[in-house]
Amino acid sequence: MAQVLDMAAILETRNLSKSFGALAAVQDVSLAIDAGGLHSIIGPNGAGKTTLFNLLTGTFPPTSGRILLDQQDVAGTPAHRIAHLGLARSFQRTNVFPAFSLLENVWIAAFATGRSWKGLLFRNTSQYPEANEQARQALRDVGLIDKQNQLAREISHGEQRQLELAIALAAQPRVLLLDEPAAGLSPEETRRMVALVRSLKGRYTMVLIEHKMDIIMSVSDRISVMHFGRLIAEGAPAEIQRNPEVRRAYLGGVAT
Amino acid sequence: MRAFFLILISICVLPLIVRPVIATEIWIFAIFGLGLNLLLGYTGLLSFGQSTFFGSAAYVAGWLLKHYGVNVFFALGIGVGVGALSALVVGYLCVQRSGLYFIMLTFALNQLFYFVAYQWTSVTGGEDGMQGVPRPEFLGLDFKDPLVYYVFVSVLFLASLWLMKRIVESPLGRILQAIRENELRAEAVGYHVPRFKLLAFVIGGAFSGAAGVLYAMLFGIVPLEAIGFVFSGNVVFATLIGGSGSLYGPIIGSFVFIWLSESMSVVWARWPLLLGVAFVIVVLFFRGGVVEAWHRFWTWRRSSKPAT
Amino acid sequence: MNLFLGQILNGIATGMLYALMGLGLSLITGVLNIPNFAHGALFAVGAYFLVSVVGVLGNFWLGLLLAPLGVALLGLVIEYAGIRRLYAAGHDYQLLFTFGLALILNELIILIWGPVGISHLPPALLRGGVDLGFTFYPKYRLFVMVMAGLLVAATWLFLEKTRYGAIMRAGIENKEMVSLLGIDIHRLFTVAFAIGAFLAGIAGALTAPIRGLSPQMGVDMLGIAFVVVALGGLGNLLGAIAAGLLIGVAQAVVAAYWTEASTAVIFAVMALVLLVRPQGMFGIR
Repeated sequence: MAQVLDMAAILETRNLSKSFGALAAVQDVSLAIDAGGLHSIIGPNGAGKTTLFNLLTGTFPPTSGRILLDQQDVAGTPAHRIAHLGLARSFQRTNVFPAFSLLENVWIAAFATGRSWKGLLFRNTSQYPEANEQARQALRDVGLIDKQNQLAREISHGEQRQLELAIALAAQPRVLLLDEPAAGLSPEETRRMVALVRSLKGRYTMVLIEHKMDIIMSVSDRISVMHFGRLIAEGAPAEIQRNPEVRRAYLGGVAT
Repeated sequence: MRAFFLILISICVLPLIVRPVIATEIWIFAIFGLGLNLLLGYTGLLSFGQSTFFGSAAYVAGWLLKHYGVNVFFALGIGVGVGALSALVVGYLCVQRSGLYFIMLTFALNQLFYFVAYQWTSVTGGEDGMQGVPRPEFLGLDFKDPLVYYVFVSVLFLASLWLMKRIVESPLGRILQAIRENELRAEAVGYHVPRFKLLAFVIGGAFSGAAGVLYAMLFGIVPLEAIGFVFSGNVVFATLIGGSGSLYGPIIGSFVFIWLSESMSVVWARWPLLLGVAFVIVVLFFRGGVVEAWHRFWTWRRSSKPAT
Repeated sequence: MNLFLGQILNGIATGMLYALMGLGLSLITGVLNIPNFAHGALFAVGAYFLVSVVGVLGNFWLGLLLAPLGVALLGLVIEYAGIRRLYAAGHDYQLLFTFGLALILNELIILIWGPVGISHLPPALLRGGVDLGFTFYPKYRLFVMVMAGLLVAATWLFLEKTRYGAIMRAGIENKEMVSLLGIDIHRLFTVAFAIGAFLAGIAGALTAPIRGLSPQMGVDMLGIAFVVVALGGLGNLLGAIAAGLLIGVAQAVVAAYWTEASTAVIFAVMALVLLVRPQGMFGIR
């Protein structure tokens, strides 16, 4: 097989740090996410995982360090611009548009990063075939297309978590950041979520935060472990499982 | 569609029931309400200072009409421009805050304009208002005739309604509602929220400005109250009682409010007391407004029929 | 120069009153999280109550005590009968409610005391002026400065040094936490509203002999109270005090040179500050 040139990571952080006053939430984190893979970030509560996500999506700027998307430094890019750079995120606490239908929920994300905003003020929303199709495809991917006209606030919690993911997919991102997609799901719903995540593998580069170990182990290509804001280990799932430092970090802790 | 015909019929029938002046006032106030509702109902921004744009437009257009003899259409255009511009300035300062701060800021800036209008008596006439605003004839149309002016305003109202309908059904309309539903997520999916809020402000201001000019020409005067906080409160009340959740809510609200205030004001000089009581009663007992009550009624009726 | 210094003193006196208004409004909006558009009307009611009490009992000091108590009582009733039912209703309905109240109170004032402005002289003890060296300054205004200053200090001490005050400040920060600690959150709200009303009432009572009374006084003061809170930060009590003094002095200084613009200047200052610091002078981003 021909040797591919050293593929640079599609998303990288270099010595990324974030402090809130005296609290160092993220300390000197250097990560490289390879294109097309699924990279998980795990760690006990308060390890800084969501803060890391917030840094990647521009919720706040880092205290120091760099964030490289396709070798471009995007650290400090404001949140509303990040989506346009190809980074989409789903949230730990369900963050949908309750009064909108499912289709409208995903449409709004598809439209934002769509090719053009022509007719922003006066063209009817039904007259955007690209955005409409992108939206429908996102719903199909998560298995919610049958409920496209139901209101987001009327569907079950498990379905809302699927919608949560669909909104991120609708932007057709290059990198998908999933923050605990299985949060609050029943075992059956969790199984469905895992199958969904697996179905997306290869089509999207994914970075996953999760607490449920069985999910992590079954879908991840690589795992990074955070503890007190620092990266304490990184490697393939099997290596991480055997890693004594990781065990120690979780002692008395949370991993289910 | 049903709504459109109902509106058309009311436009035709109204001047037969009430004096043309009152009928005209109702449609003007409806335009004012449409502008506010883009902010209040669709974007979730409680702007408590809409009279800033209404009054500013009225004063500027009134001045031009009085001293420069501009025609009615020009005055209207100026009013829309002044409304939009003042909303740009006010909006820029306000959209950076949210919640209670936002409400307070819109109010405080409204007060700024009010006090300027109060003091600048050489231009605005201060407490006495700007009197003698003409309604000059143009293109053979005698706007001084109440019925002619009524038709003119009704047509403008229909145009405003059509325009607002286009806007709320456009991507902008949906983006504004997304901001209302979940500001954080709207930003995360790629919208610069303050800029969109500002856009809503400017559009709302343009509508308010149009209403202001039409009001000035209707009564021939720009009273100081037109830029005061009671006016701002009235349009909020009208919009809420009509139902902020729908495009047509402000229309119903305008009917209710104008009817209330007109019937009460001839009875008692202290009628704002009754208005205040009406506000309190609506808030305590009739939240959601007329349109929601109507929807609830229809949903109930539909649910008692067998499902299709 | 003397005119300037005299104006500064005037500014401090009105600034103290503005601080009282801002403090009360900041407390109410901070603890209850509602927009209180009736705050100006409460101020006006305080002034008119004073006039009535003095008219009936002939004693200014009793009036100064009873008028704000009356307003506090009114505040209690308003909170209990109305606002309490609206905490979950959303800001638009809360606004409409307090706005309706403002209308009602305003019209009641006109009904009871008439639409024309009234003037009210300070008590005999405080009439006339004091020689301060650079100017002959009205005794009553000095009294207002001291009295308002004491009230501001007392409120601040109550909130900072007493247990209940600490609970109230905690309520501004985090209502859920406070109710989880077993504290009756509804009573906290009622007390906060009553205190805020008291402060508005006494500010009104103190103002009466300075500027006279008119039914408009409530509306004018409402805007200023909002400016103080917007500049000082919601729930930021020191901020309200500082902002009140700042705009009081600014207004007085401008009034010396350009009287007509003095009130508009308050709002212009607010707009300018917010342009540079959207979070207010002391707010956190």
